[in-house]
Amino acid sequence: MSESQYPDPIRRFLRLFVGNSVVERILISVAALVTAVVVSSLIVLVAGYLSGEAYNPLEIFAVLVNGAFGSPFDLDSARLITEGWSPINFSMGTTLKETTLLIFAGLAVAVAFRGDLFNIGVQGQLVLGGLAAALALVWVAPFVPSGLVGTVLLIPFGLFVGAVVGGLYGAIPGALKAYADANEVITTIMLNTIATGSAFFLVSAYFADPTLQSVKTRPIPDFARLNGIVFPQGGQFSLVALALALLATVGIYYLLRYTSFGYDLRVSGKQAKAALYGGANAERMVVSTMTLSGALGGIAGAMWSMMVIGAWRQGVPSIGFDGITVSVLAGNNPIGVIPASLLFGVLKGGSNAINFQLGVPPELVAVLRGMIILFIAMPEAFRMLGNRLGVKPDPAATAGGGSDE
Amino acid sequence: MENITKRFPGVVANDQVSLEVERGSVHTLLGENGAGKSTLMNVLYGLYQQEGGTVYLNGEEMSFQTPQDAIDAGIGMIHQHFMLVDTMTVAENVTLGNEPRKWNGLAYDAKRAREAVRELSETYNFDLDPTDRIEDISVGEKQRVEILKTLYRGADVLIFDEPTAVLTPQEVDDLFRIVDELTEQGKTLIFITHKLGEAMEISDDITVLRDGENVGTADPETATRESLAELMVGREVMLDVEKTDRVPGDPVLSVDDLIVENDDGVRQVDDVDLTVHEGEILGIAGVDGNGQSQLVDSVVGLEVPDEGTVELYGEDVTDVSRREHIKRGMSFVPEDRQARGLVMDFDLVENALLGNQYDPSFTNGPRVNWGTTREHAVDIIDEYDVRTPNAATSSESLSGGNQQKFIVGREILRDSDVLVASHPTRGVDVGSIEFIHDQLLELRDEGKGVLLVSSKLDEVQQLSDRIAVIYEGEIMDVVDPDGVTDRDIGLLMAGEMPETYGGDAE
Amino acid sequence: MSDAPPDGALTRMARWAATVGRIPRLVFGSLLVAAIFGAVINLTMPGSRASTVVGIFDTSFVESTLRIAVPIVFAGLGGIFAEKSGVINIGLEGLLIISAFTAVAVTHLLGGDAQSTVWIGLFAGVLASTLLALVFAVLVIEFKADQIIAGLAVWLVGLGLAPFLSIVIWGNVNSASIATLNTVTVPGLAEIPVVGPILFDASPIVILMLVTILVSWFVLNRTSFGRWIEASGENPSSLDTAGIDVHRVRYIGVVLSGVLSGLGGAGLVVGRTGRFIGGGQTMINGDGFIAITTYLFGNYNPIGTAAAGILFAGLEALQIRLQQIPFIPAPTELIRLVPYVAVIIVLAFVGYTRIPSEVGEHYESGEE
Repeated sequence: MSESQYPDPIRRFLRLFVGNSVVERILISVAALVTAVVVSSLIVLVAGYLSGEAYNPLEIFAVLVNGAFGSPFDLDSARLITEGWSPINFSMGTTLKETTLLIFAGLAVAVAFRGDLFNIGVQGQLVLGGLAAALALVWVAPFVPSGLVGTVLLIPFGLFVGAVVGGLYGAIPGALKAYADANEVITTIMLNTIATGSAFFLVSAYFADPTLQSVKTRPIPDFARLNGIVFPQGGQFSLVALALALLATVGIYYLLRYTSFGYDLRVSGKQAKAALYGGANAERMVVSTMTLSGALGGIAGAMWSMMVIGAWRQGVPSIGFDGITVSVLAGNNPIGVIPASLLFGVLKGGSNAINFQLGVPPELVAVLRGMIILFIAMPEAFRMLGNRLGVKPDPAATAGGGSDE
Repeated sequence: MENITKRFPGVVANDQVSLEVERGSVHTLLGENGAGKSTLMNVLYGLYQQEGGTVYLNGEEMSFQTPQDAIDAGIGMIHQHFMLVDTMTVAENVTLGNEPRKWNGLAYDAKRAREAVRELSETYNFDLDPTDRIEDISVGEKQRVEILKTLYRGADVLIFDEPTAVLTPQEVDDLFRIVDELTEQGKTLIFITHKLGEAMEISDDITVLRDGENVGTADPETATRESLAELMVGREVMLDVEKTDRVPGDPVLSVDDLIVENDDGVRQVDDVDLTVHEGEILGIAGVDGNGQSQLVDSVVGLEVPDEGTVELYGEDVTDVSRREHIKRGMSFVPEDRQARGLVMDFDLVENALLGNQYDPSFTNGPRVNWGTTREHAVDIIDEYDVRTPNAATSSESLSGGNQQKFIVGREILRDSDVLVASHPTRGVDVGSIEFIHDQLLELRDEGKGVLLVSSKLDEVQQLSDRIAVIYEGEIMDVVDPDGVTDRDIGLLMAGEMPETYGGDAE
Repeated sequence: MSDAPPDGALTRMARWAATVGRIPRLVFGSLLVAAIFGAVINLTMPGSRASTVVGIFDTSFVESTLRIAVPIVFAGLGGIFAEKSGVINIGLEGLLIISAFTAVAVTHLLGGDAQSTVWIGLFAGVLASTLLALVFAVLVIEFKADQIIAGLAVWLVGLGLAPFLSIVIWGNVNSASIATLNTVTVPGLAEIPVVGPILFDASPIVILMLVTILVSWFVLNRTSFGRWIEASGENPSSLDTAGIDVHRVRYIGVVLSGVLSGLGGAGLVVGRTGRFIGGGQTMINGDGFIAITTYLFGNYNPIGTAAAGILFAGLEALQIRLQQIPFIPAPTELIRLVPYVAVIIVLAFVGYTRIPSEVGEHYESGEE
C-alpha cells in the first residue's frame, strides 16, 4: 500500500501519527484510550451475557460521562439539557475531587518515571502521608487560633507533614535501589502492604477515635480542613485544593525543564552513564527522585485526609494505582497529567452514576485502568499500523548520517 | 557476486557491486567505515536481501533468504562483535543450534559435543579446551571459537568481519597462521577490513569499496599503502601528520601508584605512574581491555581508585567528585559517545549543557539559562564543523563523526588546560578524524595537556609526544614514538620488553 | 551447567550439590540445625513456652507450607523461563489472579461437586492465564512494548477484571465456594513417619508442583532448549546466527510462564481454598512479586527458586500460627507483615544477582 493512494489532507493527518513526538504521543494516548474503552465494552457485554444481565456498553459510557458532570444531558427525556443543571453540583464536585487527588498521584509517578524509576508505592506513601497529616493536625490544632488565621497556618502545615512522611517513605525504596541495587518495583509493592498494615495497626492500637467502633482517627477540626468553597459542602471537594494541584503541576514542570536538578533527573532517566559523565551522583539522584515522588504521594494522602474524609480511616481508595494510569496516559509529562487526571476523574466520578442508575459495578473503572495501560504499552503497534497503512515518517525527521559499520 | 545493489532508507549501501573470489584464496574487502563492505557480506550471508544482482556459489546461482540458507550452503561468518554466550562453555557455544542429542532427542549430549569440538580443534590446531567457559578465555581464543562454530557447521567459505580490531600484534600473527592452516585445508576466506597493512600482508587479492561502489581491485604484491589509501578515500591522503616540535612545560595532570581493583579483587590498573605536561600529548597505547577504561575513569573522576593519587594542576583530586573535576577544569571526550557523551534523545542545545548544568555561566542559581545554552550550542556547531541543519535537531540524527565533533567542541570550549580523550576517533569517518586530530594538536600547541587513549596504533604514534604502553593494567614503558619500531610497541602491547628499541624495521 | 568429565559417584554427588546452588544448601542446612534444636527443646523442656513454639513445626505445618507455596513456586518457575530468555515478566501477579478467578468461575458455572468439574476448572484457569501471557508476549516481542510497563498492565488487568467479573457473577468481590481436589493417598507409603503424610497423602497440586520443579531443572540444564533459553537472554544474536528463531524461543518462555502461573493460581483455589477472594489485593496478595524475588534469590536455578519460595511460604504459614499463640508479644497485624519485610530484606542482599545480559532489550534479527 503506498502513500500516494490517499488524498493529501488525509495523508498529512495520518503523518501526524508518525514522527512528530508530542502530537504523536497525544494521539497514541487517545488511541489507547479508545481501544481500551472498546475492549472493556466487549468484556462488559460478555460478562453481562454470562451472568444473565443485559448490559449496553454505549448506555454505560453515556451514563458514566454524563453522571460525572452531574447529568447535564438529560438522557431519559426529549430535552437536551437537564432542567436546573448547573456546573456547580455534587457529582461535578466528586469528579473534580478525584481529579485533584489524581493530579498529585500522577505527578508522583511521572516524576519517578522521568528518572527511569518505577514508583509503584505511591499508595503506601499516600496512606502514611495521610495518616501523618491527620494525626499532626489533630495534635497541633488546639494550639492554634481557629478561624481564618488557623486555616492559613494549618493547611500548609498538614500538607507539609504529608509531604515529609511520604517523602521519607519514598526514600526507603530509593536508598535500597541506590545502594543495594534492589528492584524498586518489588520493594515499593511490598512497602504498600507494609504501610497499610502498619497504619491499621497504629490507628487501631493508639490513635483511634474512642467514640467510634471503626479504625479511624479523631476528626480534624473544621478550620484545618480543606472545605468546600463554591462547591456544596459535604461534596468533599475544595477549589483551593484544585488550585494547589495546578500550581504543583506547573512547579514540577518548571523543575524538570528549567533547573539543574531537573536536568540531572531527566538525563539520569534517559542514560544513566551520561548523567554520571555530566557530573551527577547516581545514588543521590535515585534517592532524591524517589523522595520527591514520595512527597507528592504524601500530599495526595494528606489531601484525602483533609479534604475528603476529615480524618484518616482504614480502607484508603486505590488512588496510588490510578496515578500510574494517569502518568502513563500523560506520557509522563507533568502538563499532560492535568487532562489525564481529568479524564480519569471523570471515569471515577461517573462510576457512582453507573452504579446507582444501571447497577453496573463501579469496579469497571479498575478494568479500564488495566486496559488503558495495556494499550499504552504498545505505541509501536500504532506506529506499525500507521506504517502498514502506507504512511511513512517525514524523511527530514529521521535523516541520519549513514550507519557506521 | 554480480551487480549487487542494496538500499536502505536514505542511502544506497551497495551500488552494482561485483566481486569474484577464487576458491582456496584469501580475498580482502578493503574500505573505510560506511563503504558498504559489511553490507555486501551480509547479503552473501543471507542477513539482507539485495534489491538487484545475483550471488553465485561454485557457478550456481544462490538465493539466501536467511543465514540458515547460507550456512547450509557452506558459508560461515565470523563477526566483529563476537556472538558468544559468556556463561556457557566452548563446546556449548560451538554446538548451539545443532546440538547432539541423546535419549531419543530429549536431552543434550554433552559428552558428544565435547568430543566433536575437541576433534575439530585438533584438526586445525586451534588449541581450545571445550570445557572452558567463554567468560574465562582470551580474546584470541574467543575468535577461534567463532571460527570453530563455522567449521562445525561445515563452512567452506569463511567471512571475517574486521577480525584484527581487538587483537594484539602477536594475536594477529596467530590469526594469520590459522588463516594459512585453513587455506591449506581448502577453505576460502574473505576478510573485511579497513587496515591497509594487514590487507597487504595476508591477502591474495584485494577489492576496494568506497561509498557503496567497487572502485577497483589491487594486487597486494604491487600495490602500495598510499595507492590503496587513495582508492579507499578517493583523494590523495596524507597518511602522516605534521607535528611541530615543542618543549613540554610543567605537569598539569599526574597519576601516582594508581591501583584499581574489580569486584573479584583483580587489579585492572596496577601501580601506574603517569604525568602529562603542558603542551604535550601523552598517548596510551594498548589493546582494548587492558585497563585503559578504568585508568581513564579514575583520572576523570568517574571512579575512585583503590590506591594511589591523581593530581590535577598540583592538587589532589583522587577522591573528588566528577562534578568537582569538571569544575576544576578537566575536559573529557568519552569513548562511547552514544552512551556517555550525548543523550541521544536530546537535541544539541540540551546536549550542550551536559557537564555545564551547574556552571555559573549557564545558570542563575538553580535555574538553567537556556538562552546562553543555545548560543553555546550554536558556537560549537559553527566552530567545530558539526554538519547539522540547526541546533534543534536531535543528536540521534547526526552521523557518528558529527556527534564526535560536537562532543570534542563542547569539551574544548570548556577552556580547561587538560583534556582526556578516550578512543576519540572510533567509528568516525576519515574527514572527521582529520579534523579531530587537528584539534588535539592545536590544543597541544596552545600549551594544554592532552591524555590520549586509543587502540589505533598509528593514531597514537602520529599524535603523541610520548607513548605509554599499557598491558594488563601495567605501564610497560613510556617511549618516544620516533625512537621505536612498530615491532617494539607490538611486543610491549603483548606484555614483553624488547631487548633494545629501534631494532630491524618490520 | 558445566560439562565436567565424569568421575566417581561421590565426586559426582558433590558436584551436583554444588550446581544445586547455595540457597538450597543454606535452607536445608538451617532446617537441619533447626530440627535438631527443636528436638532438643522438646525433649528437655516439655510443656514450656519454648516447646509450644517448637511444636508449631509439625507435619501439618509442612503440609500447610507446601500448599501456600503453590502459587509462589509455580509462578517463580514460570518467571525463570521468561526472564532467562530475556523477557522480564512483572505481571506474574496478574496471571495468578486471572487463573485463580477463572478456575473458580468455570467450576461454579459448570455446577455440581464432581471432581472432574474441578479439574476442568483448573484447566480453564491455566488456559486463561496462558492467553493473558500470550497477549503480553505479543505486546513485548512483536510490538516492542516496554516490558515493565506491559507487565504492570498485565497485573492491573488481572487486578481489575477479577473483582469486577466476580461482582457480576456473584454480586460480591468474593466468590461462592466450590469443591476442591481430593488428596491423593498412596497406601502403605503414607504411613512412613514425617515424609509419608507430606508426600504420599497430599493434594495432587502439591505433587504436581514438586514434579514441575524437577522437570524444570531438567529442561533448563539438560536439554538443547534450555541452552537456547540461556542464549536468548545472554546473547540473542548468537542464537540467531545459529539459525534458531529468537522470537520463538522467547514466546515459548513467556507462554510457559503463563502456563505455570496458571497452575499456581488455579492450583491455589482448587487445591486449598475453594473460593476466590477478590477484596484488596485479592487472595494472591503479592505472591507474584514474591515469586520474582525467589528466582532472583535462587539465581534462576529452579531448585534454588523453589527452596526460596518454600521459605517464604513457611514464613507465611508461621505467621498464621503465631497469631494463635497467646503469649507472643507482637500484635497480629504486624506479624502478618513478616513475609513482606522478609522479601525486602532478601532483595537488599541479593541485588547483586547476575541478571541475563539482554533482559529487557528487544531483539530484531539482522540488527548488528
